[in-house]
Amino acid sequence: MLFHAEAVITPREGVLDTQGKAVEKTLASLGYKGLNEVRVGRIVTMRLEARDEGEAAEAVKNMCQDLLANDLIETYKISVREAQ
Amino acid sequence: MKTAVVVFPGSNCDRDVQRAVSETLKCSVDMVWHEERDFPSAPDLVILPGGFSYGDYLRSGAMAARSPIIGAVRKHAAEGRLLLGICNGFQVLTETKLLPGALLANTTTTFICRKCHIRVESTDNRFTSGLKKGEVVQYPIAHHEGLYFLPPAELKALEEAGRVVFRYADPETGEAGAEYAPNGSLNGIAGICNEAGNILGLMPHPERATVAHLNGGSDGGAFWLSIADDFAKRGIL
Repeated sequence: MLFHAEAVITPREGVLDTQGKAVEKTLASLGYKGLNEVRVGRIVTMRLEARDEGEAAEAVKNMCQDLLANDLIETYKISVREAQ
Repeated sequence: MKTAVVVFPGSNCDRDVQRAVSETLKCSVDMVWHEERDFPSAPDLVILPGGFSYGDYLRSGAMAARSPIIGAVRKHAAEGRLLLGICNGFQVLTETKLLPGALLANTTTTFICRKCHIRVESTDNRFTSGLKKGEVVQYPIAHHEGLYFLPPAELKALEEAGRVVFRYADPETGEAGAEYAPNGSLNGIAGICNEAGNILGLMPHPERATVAHLNGGSDGGAFWLSIADDFAKRGIL
């Protein structure tokens, strides 16, 4: 079966996010008020073959651990659904 | 003494470091493409050079750290031989976990390319035993991700183990610390080594401070000679 998977990778709590701080400053300069904290991460999307949703999720988790995320400074969330 | 420089797609200091080492130490330097699975002749020193391997995609050094040659790099280091990562090479070393920590974006949000001063914090390793502890040297920096990060407990352990080898410093007073780091690096750390002292990673570029007339200064020459001294003491010429 073909699945659509998404890994959302964000900087860990307590890890300085220079990009997020710069974006926050720029948003504030545009007049957006009440901003508390802006964090910038990345989304990796993919289509992959797997027997079922569990196997697809397991494969993406391994990819995150092996390459897509650095567990010292980042956390990740995975979502998987059957591809259209 | 045999040296190998690993070349990744996007490396741009590979030729600089080749020239610095070959001219200073009068030794041959093999240039090894990252797709190789072994070194052509067992090197005594392997250097991961500066640059933008894989265009810094994903995270600086992340893809290079999973290159085919890295298996041979790990084996080389596990045998106690010297492994040096400069700038992007340091980022690759943290991504392989051969050195702890990570290099994050500079707090300035900018790419910083300029001369800077660093203090030799430790000479108890295979790279800086020929330098003087406490001396301040000038090597250029050129990076966007040079902020050394390690969680507080591990950072404390690294400091206590004397594994901080270089720290950003004020050349006038000789003081070193976070306030002198142009990139926001924790504790002003510019370079660290592993426990055994045979793996060193640093953000500043000694190879750009080797040929004086190229305007980077000449302090880097002593760094290469220090490595050669270590080899000489072990009978490797």
